[in-house]
Amino acid sequence: MGKGNVRTFMPGAPPRREMRDFDTLMAAAQRGDGGAYKALLKQVASYLRGLVWVRAPYLTPEDVEDLVQDILISLHLARNTWDPARPFRPWLASIARNRMADHARQYGRRVVIDLQFTDIDETFCDEATNYHAEKVVNFLAVRDALNALPPAEKAAVRMLRLQQLTLSEAAEQSGTSIAALKVAVHRATKRLRGVLSDDDAKRDASPD
Amino acid sequence: MTTQKETLHLIDRLAAEARTVRPLASPVLRTEIWLALSLPFVAMMVILYSPRADLLEKLSQTRFLIEEGAALATAIMAALAAFAQVVPGSNRRVIWLAALPAGLWLATLGIGCLADWMRAGAAGLRVTNDIGCLGKIALIGSLPALAMVWMLRRGAPLAPRGTLFLAILAAAALGNFGLRLFHSQDAGLMVLIWQAGSVLLLAAIAGLCGPRFLCWQHRKA
Repeated sequence: MGKGNVRTFMPGAPPRREMRDFDTLMAAAQRGDGGAYKALLKQVASYLRGLVWVRAPYLTPEDVEDLVQDILISLHLARNTWDPARPFRPWLASIARNRMADHARQYGRRVVIDLQFTDIDETFCDEATNYHAEKVVNFLAVRDALNALPPAEKAAVRMLRLQQLTLSEAAEQSGTSIAALKVAVHRATKRLRGVLSDDDAKRDASPD
Repeated sequence: MTTQKETLHLIDRLAAEARTVRPLASPVLRTEIWLALSLPFVAMMVILYSPRADLLEKLSQTRFLIEEGAALATAIMAALAAFAQVVPGSNRRVIWLAALPAGLWLATLGIGCLADWMRAGAAGLRVTNDIGCLGKIALIGSLPALAMVWMLRRGAPLAPRGTLFLAILAAAALGNFGLRLFHSQDAGLMVLIWQAGSVLLLAAIAGLCGPRFLCWQHRKA
């Protein structure tokens, strides 16, 4: 990675003394010094927090914290790849950039899913015409429909649609295959669509 | 909702797992180790299949030597680039290391096609079925590929697709290097399609499957 890239990527870079500290602490951490490792992770976390805020200002504080945690875990998993003879900062920058890119992709997918699940016909109406009672009824209908799903399908919807996990994350968490998850979420979506459209039809057909 | 307090808890947990870790060897050293594991296997496969009868004669031909040298150099450079890919902060331009020998390799095969056409006309460019090359290259490259993936999984999966493409390019190029020593097929177009084509096909398929083999979840703390 070029020096210029690092400078662009790390706005508000820490002072040179701190950078040396990163190197020293990481070297000690590789030797198994838990105290040095904890101090390093704390410094890195606060440094990353600022960095993520600058690079992704659209994220909520919770999302920023999620991302910081992801980067810390990746740093931990990849700590054997740091060569003490090389500077720590470009190494950290590379991991942070990778995790931020992954997160941005995940965020993009989430937005796409949200858009797909937005019913244009309904949201096209003026907000004022949506009564609170109707929202409650809709919420209860969705909740009931979700509760009526078989456990595997319910878990798939919860992980992939509500928690926004990736397929591989969900597969790892649930101990099932990606293919099984895809099938489960597909069936669940079909079932939900059927149940909810039945509810709508019943409501439309009622004399009120 | 993730809070800073939870991040501090995470830091405590990670710090509690602190133990001595052995830094990964340099990509150059890892490439040497990979070659030390792979070349004896390739040699064994060549012996098992029996070296081609005209091998001594072929070894005195410049074009054959350049072609084999370029295939071997492609394997070495692709392996070096793959190992560099899993080290955060390493120069990303190393992925182009393999491009030069691979280009030379393809150019040599292209010159072979031209020579065949000038020597025998359209008959020199006849293509027949030699799908067995794909299987043989995959077989000879199997152990190098397994060793490579196993070694790569000790690194950081920053670019899984590109890394696995390079890894399998290295293994398959090594497989093709071995194949040429026992498989008597010298028609330029046949070698280009069935051998270089197989190498690229295997590398491309592997590249697409990269995230399945190299991802953060596979890394062990």
